[in-house]
Amino acid sequence: MMFFVIGYYVFLLLASVVLSLFNQTKWFRMVFALFLVSIIVGIVGGAPALRAIAIFAALLATAAALSFAFKEFLILIVRPNLAKELRTAPLTASFGIFIIFTYAIAGTFAPWIAPYGQAEVIAGAFAPADANMLLGADQLGRDVFSRIIYGARNSVGLALISTLGAFILGALAGLLAAVKGGWFDQFMGRVADIIMSVPSLIFALLMLSIFGTKSWVIVLVVAIIYSPRVFRLTRAVAGNIVVMDYIEAAKLRGEGDWYLIRREILPNSTAPLIAEFGLEFVFVFLLIAGLSFLGLGIQPPTADWGSMVRENATLISFGDITPLIPAAAIALLTVSVNFVVDWMLWRSSGLKEK
Amino acid sequence: MSAKFLEKDILLEIEDLQIQGYSEETWIDIIKGVNLTLHRGEVLGLIGESGAGKSTIGAAAMGYARDGTRISGGRIEFDGIELTTATESDKRSLRGSRIAYVAQSAAASFNPAHKIIDQHTEAPVQYRIQKRLEAQEDAMKLYEQLRLPNPNEIGFRYPHQVSGGQLQRAMTAMAMSCRPDLIIFDEPTTALDVTTQIEVLAAIRDIVDQYNTAAIYITHDLAVVAQMADTIKVLLKGEEVEQASTVEMLENPQEDYTKSLWAVRSFKRPQKARPKDGTEPIISVKNIDAAYTGGVKVLDDVSFDIYPGMTVAVVGESGSGKSTTARCITGLLPPMAGEIQFKGDTLPPKYTDRSKDQLRQAQMIYQMADTALNPKVQINEIIGRPAQFYSGLKGTALKQRVDELLDLIELEPSKYYYRYPPELSGGQKQRIGIARALAAEPEFIICDEVTSALDQLVAEGILKLLDRLQRDLGLAYMFITHDLATVRSIADEVVVMQNGKVVEQGPKDKMFTPPHHPYTDLLLSSVPEMDPNWLTTLLEERGVDNIGEKADV
Repeated sequence: MMFFVIGYYVFLLLASVVLSLFNQTKWFRMVFALFLVSIIVGIVGGAPALRAIAIFAALLATAAALSFAFKEFLILIVRPNLAKELRTAPLTASFGIFIIFTYAIAGTFAPWIAPYGQAEVIAGAFAPADANMLLGADQLGRDVFSRIIYGARNSVGLALISTLGAFILGALAGLLAAVKGGWFDQFMGRVADIIMSVPSLIFALLMLSIFGTKSWVIVLVVAIIYSPRVFRLTRAVAGNIVVMDYIEAAKLRGEGDWYLIRREILPNSTAPLIAEFGLEFVFVFLLIAGLSFLGLGIQPPTADWGSMVRENATLISFGDITPLIPAAAIALLTVSVNFVVDWMLWRSSGLKEK
Repeated sequence: MSAKFLEKDILLEIEDLQIQGYSEETWIDIIKGVNLTLHRGEVLGLIGESGAGKSTIGAAAMGYARDGTRISGGRIEFDGIELTTATESDKRSLRGSRIAYVAQSAAASFNPAHKIIDQHTEAPVQYRIQKRLEAQEDAMKLYEQLRLPNPNEIGFRYPHQVSGGQLQRAMTAMAMSCRPDLIIFDEPTTALDVTTQIEVLAAIRDIVDQYNTAAIYITHDLAVVAQMADTIKVLLKGEEVEQASTVEMLENPQEDYTKSLWAVRSFKRPQKARPKDGTEPIISVKNIDAAYTGGVKVLDDVSFDIYPGMTVAVVGESGSGKSTTARCITGLLPPMAGEIQFKGDTLPPKYTDRSKDQLRQAQMIYQMADTALNPKVQINEIIGRPAQFYSGLKGTALKQRVDELLDLIELEPSKYYYRYPPELSGGQKQRIGIARALAAEPEFIICDEVTSALDQLVAEGILKLLDRLQRDLGLAYMFITHDLATVRSIADEVVVMQNGKVVEQGPKDKMFTPPHHPYTDLLLSSVPEMDPNWLTTLLEERGVDNIGEKADV
């Protein structure tokens, strides 16, 4: 224990000296501040507190190293012009991409990755983790790890389809409204207002209790709830584009609305739409998880992160973190998607200087 | 250096100035070692085409480097203060009080939420030169000197309540508010009509004279700089070409580049007369009235004819209805009364009701090539689409046609085929716009201020190209412009418009020889000439008090 504490302080001190020698002012300031804070934390919390700091720092460093290596790897394997874009990506963005990739692989190959089926009972209720079960068993004795892997497929897949649905509905309506204008524009705008005026969770609960909790109903309901937001954004973005002279030129050529949308407007509005897609995906994902938590989303025994939190919620009072694992999976994906979206927004906003 | 200015009176001295800009992850030299000396009371004209670094030098004279640029070398000494090493707060205390700046677009530079006079008094009150009321009185005095109407009242209006020319003068007054030693004018009249430009030029010249203020006058218009400057410096791509006193520079330019600038306005083509054999006009505008939804009439009984193979220039100030007429012809704005005839047949008023062939006949070339070309579409598709749309060309035939069109506009097909518009220069973009219009194989093209956003040398290239295409393909042009120099060089017939009415029309030679309609006369006499005494003579002729107001005849 003594060795750890001494080593900890010596390492920080040496690191700050080396950094200041190499003129890395920013890093020096950070490491030295950490050293000073550690002295106080060490006095108050003792060795365990220092250990927590060390583990946290190590995790952060690992994530950073992973992101960096992953970014370099991506740059090597993609096409040259995409690689040029990737070079500008911050570490947070490549971390986000990495997590999204991991989830995608877990979701796609769930039956091969998961050691057990999602509905398979293999142990007693709430059995602790052992060599067979990485994260222990849930309230019916199913393997939590396998269910998390399957959950990636069910929850994320459903959210993805719903978001796509919302985008197809909203973007199409928005583009048409911007191109047509006049009463059609007004009408679509009012419809969007009506949908937005109903609180989304209540609307979803109402619809799901009327039509039942089949997955196509969930997809449709969520798509309708989120389409007005996409509609508004698309209409605003397209509204700025339809007044351009090149649209006038195309109109005067006699082009139809569909050509205008497809060839003239869409290529100029993809950047904000993709960024919005990332954001909406997160909201949709949280809404579906929330619905599952309330028992109206994906139905058991299908594994789903939202309902997994609810089913195992009692465990938290025994100091077990099992219910927090699916919650953490949701949080990690949300944060990762936002990292990537931030980068895309930054790229499309033109605020690249400073 | 003219002997008028003494050596000890040096106000601003720039030595070997170097400025770099950040682009594509490296620093690129924008200004490559420019020297500049300015004495008290001297007006220095900086001219050059866009990208020559005029505005960058203007900003550097205030010790300011815009976002994405940095001053990488040289000295800027303002009245004994070294600006490159001065602290930000030192520089800030100079700006506004001792160095002032007048921007190109006054409308965009005034804060629309505050009254003009409040923005005017901000600097003197801030620097504790004057109390608010004193500053307001002083502002009114300046407004009077700048010949603004109702000088005691105009300051209490909001910026959108006064006209563009008045706003530009109000901005000059604002720059004068602390009686600075140096004012930087960055293209102050470029966005204005010729008739308004005169008011502003006269006002600026008087006030600069009166307070013995030094000024750097940035412009690309030689005739304007000839009126304003004591000394002219010509810039090209961040380097100085030459510098001399105005008279010397105009009479005896040394460098080839300067000579080529001077020669631009010499392009002329022979004037054509209307065909005598009874050919029908290709486009005939008959007594059209038009208004935008619910507004007042913007066009009132406009009629004129355009014959095959001829160029009809439509001139007038902004707001005179030139572009609206074009919108009526293309069918974007259906007229309230009257009709448009194409070779004797009446065209449907709305473009959506016209047939493909009718649409094909009337093509447009736009003023701003930036907004006229879709930035996300490759050149081959921009040009190829009309050919594909109207003539149904496909595959190799289409590719061949695009190559042919690129050849026509003098761009190398293999080099530009897969490019995107943002990768091209302004002149090249305008050429693509022309090619797109040609791809439809029209007989009639509307050119809406096609050269006004371009540098003079580039504009001349475009005019020559349009002229050659007219000869080769027998096109008729409707040429909308406010630049009478362009009209002189390429028009066959001229239509003068004012407040939505046709004031006068006829063949060019007749229009340019007196007697004129008073408005035509005003327009013609307002075009700046290269003679440095032109403005003085003109003001004497017109009388100082009614230079601009004469426009209301």
